[in-house]
Amino acid sequence: MGSSITTWENVSAYFTFADNPFALVLFAIGTAAIIAGLIISIIRHENAAFEKIK
Amino acid sequence: MENSPTLESLQAALDAQQAVFEMHQAMNVEVFYWWCTAIMLMIHAGFLAYEMGASRSKNALAAGIKNILAIALIIPAFYLFGWWIYNAFPNGFVPIEAAAALPWAASMGPDVQDMGTGIFWAAFALFGATTGSILSGAVIERIRVSAFLILTIFLGGVVWIMAGAWGWHPDGWLLTEFGYHDVGASGVVHAVAGFFTLGVLMNLGARKGKFIDGVPQIISPHSLPMTLIGLMMIIFGFFGFLGGCIIFNGGETGWTTIYGTPTNLSAFAFNTLMGFAGGIIGCYIATRDPFWTMSGGLVGIISVAAGLDIYSPSLAFIIAVTTGIVAVQFAKFLEKRGIDDAVGAVSVHGFTGVVAVVLVGVFAGGTPNAEGLPEISFVGQLIGAAVMGLMGFVPGYGLSFLLKKANSLRVPEACEDIGIDEVELLAKPYPEGGVPAMTDLTTSEVPNKLANSET
Repeated sequence: MGSSITTWENVSAYFTFADNPFALVLFAIGTAAIIAGLIISIIRHENAAFEKIK
Repeated sequence: MENSPTLESLQAALDAQQAVFEMHQAMNVEVFYWWCTAIMLMIHAGFLAYEMGASRSKNALAAGIKNILAIALIIPAFYLFGWWIYNAFPNGFVPIEAAAALPWAASMGPDVQDMGTGIFWAAFALFGATTGSILSGAVIERIRVSAFLILTIFLGGVVWIMAGAWGWHPDGWLLTEFGYHDVGASGVVHAVAGFFTLGVLMNLGARKGKFIDGVPQIISPHSLPMTLIGLMMIIFGFFGFLGGCIIFNGGETGWTTIYGTPTNLSAFAFNTLMGFAGGIIGCYIATRDPFWTMSGGLVGIISVAAGLDIYSPSLAFIIAVTTGIVAVQFAKFLEKRGIDDAVGAVSVHGFTGVVAVVLVGVFAGGTPNAEGLPEISFVGQLIGAAVMGLMGFVPGYGLSFLLKKANSLRVPEACEDIGIDEVELLAKPYPEGGVPAMTDLTTSEVPNKLANSET
């Protein structure tokens, strides 16, 4: 579904969705969201852990 | 005579040979940086070992987990914006067109025609991970993992690479205006990371018990041998790091520095090893302490890295010995002023990085740069060193100050007492007992800290 090529003749960028900038932007946003989400989850985990030792 | 080669057929055969040669040369470039990147991962194995070892056993896993997560987060962050920053900001804070380096560009992925972008991005991403990890050891045993990750992403994904755009990019303003020379990243990586760390430490504060009535106390590593092995692994990784700093050109150009001037791996080999040896000797002379002696290897390499391509090896050795001795004094200076740098990162990386940049101006002033660029000069290097120090310190202090104000920088005192491993990770490094070097903080005589040194 995501292939950006139909032949190997004269190929340049050939990775999935290389011809679909909108999808690539979405993937980048998803990557950023995972990073941010991980940090938020760590903050929550820390807050909960610190609450237990109060 | 029907089968005699014609001029056209000979030309075609020559062209075919040329195409084969060029393809193999491009593949060699990829192979070289691939292995440099792989070897650089040893730096992180080393950081992991030495920071866990430098912690008390109650915080050993927390030190390790933040190290592992730092690499895992800096790499995607560098993909999202680090590479773009490097390409967009050579002129200062105003970006130039660099859409091809954005994460949604067609050039930022597998491409049959592009055998350079991915492998250079990978090397730079690992430079970023190294930079972010320099902060890691200094802040052990009291920083929140979340705060550390925010800081290290900012350092490894944004701050250093902005400095890299200024001082490493072929069009970087420090190079084009002042002839800045820093081939082995003493400034753009080490000075930036070291002074970023200083800014963070000023807001983070010392570990509980580090200072009693203002007098620095010994907090012993739970495994000094692990720290020594870790430091040696970092040294090994530095050969990948410094290899990644040299440019493997196609065509007949051969090796050049990142500034386009001729050099080769032989030049780097002479001075890397002489610096390494000199730094060890300098720190040993200054401390007689195992941890600092091994850290001296790093000091030595960093002290000559900026001029790795141009120093005479004996001069590199002398620079490294001297910087090793002085770096220890700088660490003492910081400690006397209440800065608790658990592994001496500000001194080893920040102070040494700045000194290294300046010394290129002292010893190599007048060396020409590539055509059309100013020659290396003392003033240019001095300006570059100041920029690198500020480029690290200001963002480090600023962001950590904000985190502190949000009460998100430091673990609670009770957590510090119990240990971060037990509170946050719910894990113990040595669940069956047998913890090495569990000692009373105030009575330890393990000779691994500045307070016990002779000079």
